[in-house]
Amino acid sequence: MAELSPREMEVARLIVEALNLEDIEPDTIEPEQPLFNEGLGLDSIDALELALAISKKYDIQLRSDDPNNQRIFASLRALTGHIEQKLTA
Amino acid sequence: MNRKWREQHERGSASAIRLIRWIALHLGRTPTRLLLHPITAYFLLTSSEGRRCSRQFLARATGKPPNLWNIARHIHSFASTILDRVYFCTDRFQYFDLQVHGHDMFDETMAQGSGCILLGSHLGSFEVLRMLALSHKRLPLKVLMDKERSETITRLLEALNPEIADSVISPGTPDVLLKVHEHLERGGMVGMLGDRTVPQDRVVHCRFFERDAPFPAAPFLLASVLKVPVILFFGLYRGGNRYDIHFEKLANRITVRRGRREADARHWAQQYAARLESHARRAPYNWFNFYDFWPDDIHHG
Repeated sequence: MAELSPREMEVARLIVEALNLEDIEPDTIEPEQPLFNEGLGLDSIDALELALAISKKYDIQLRSDDPNNQRIFASLRALTGHIEQKLTA
Repeated sequence: MNRKWREQHERGSASAIRLIRWIALHLGRTPTRLLLHPITAYFLLTSSEGRRCSRQFLARATGKPPNLWNIARHIHSFASTILDRVYFCTDRFQYFDLQVHGHDMFDETMAQGSGCILLGSHLGSFEVLRMLALSHKRLPLKVLMDKERSETITRLLEALNPEIADSVISPGTPDVLLKVHEHLERGGMVGMLGDRTVPQDRVVHCRFFERDAPFPAAPFLLASVLKVPVILFFGLYRGGNRYDIHFEKLANRITVRRGRREADARHWAQQYAARLESHARRAPYNWFNFYDFWPDDIHHG
């Protein structure tokens, strides 16, 4: 199992909490595993709830007109990378 | 689920639809409606699946087995609303007598400025509302629908009015509901159809004509997450050139609790199903879900 960085761990907790994924431990989420459809199996309603939770916690708006959305939502690692980039910007 | 029907439906080849579209626009509505008789006869004779689903639904909605004339009327009513889409798409509302019910409630809800979800169905015509909204620019309606799955006929009709494509939000990417969210934040309306499910949908089962049928949970989950009101919409075809448009408030706020998601979504879907049933009972020939609406029934006889 790949090691999660502290920020990845924080985002993993946010995912589990925001989406009420009772049967998943945050530290078992594979950082490169797809979040949507296959992998963690999230759907578009999960994506919306996650985007709202991220906006609340980090004050970062995920917008539909961002051409990188496909990449941002691809995995825990990609999502965390995007959040860190926005936080340091 | 409705692939079989769709495949049959698609048999009306693209060129035949183009021809009818041309006639419809050049001859006007009354003469073109004469064509609906041979078209009805064609589908009545060749579509056994269409006949079977029509018979099943009419029997349940009216409480007695339909005769061939009733089924013909059902198909004719469906064909009429498809033809009328040509006129709605090209902004020819002068042909129609439209009665709007629930107008004040609708205006009051829109005046709150929070946007709303407009939940329609395949009972009657959703197109009448969509095109009214396009023609009145002050009604910012976007429709959440899968463009990839739309029928030939839809694509050909939409070619009549390029603005239609801009009013569609098509699912398929994780950020699709961010688009919905942003549109609602601007005070817009988002239209959805609440009576068809696709395999990847979250589904809840509701009582519908005394039997269990699958309904999508998404409209209610979405309304709960985004805290917007839900208005039901029914555009019923009444024969001739008459349409009755009904707006009904489902709820100002829908709350789906964590851990009670399915039960709460089912509660609201059931309210929707009950209103759909009530309208469908009074306007059974408007039922345009020509496939097995109660899929579990097949196994239980």
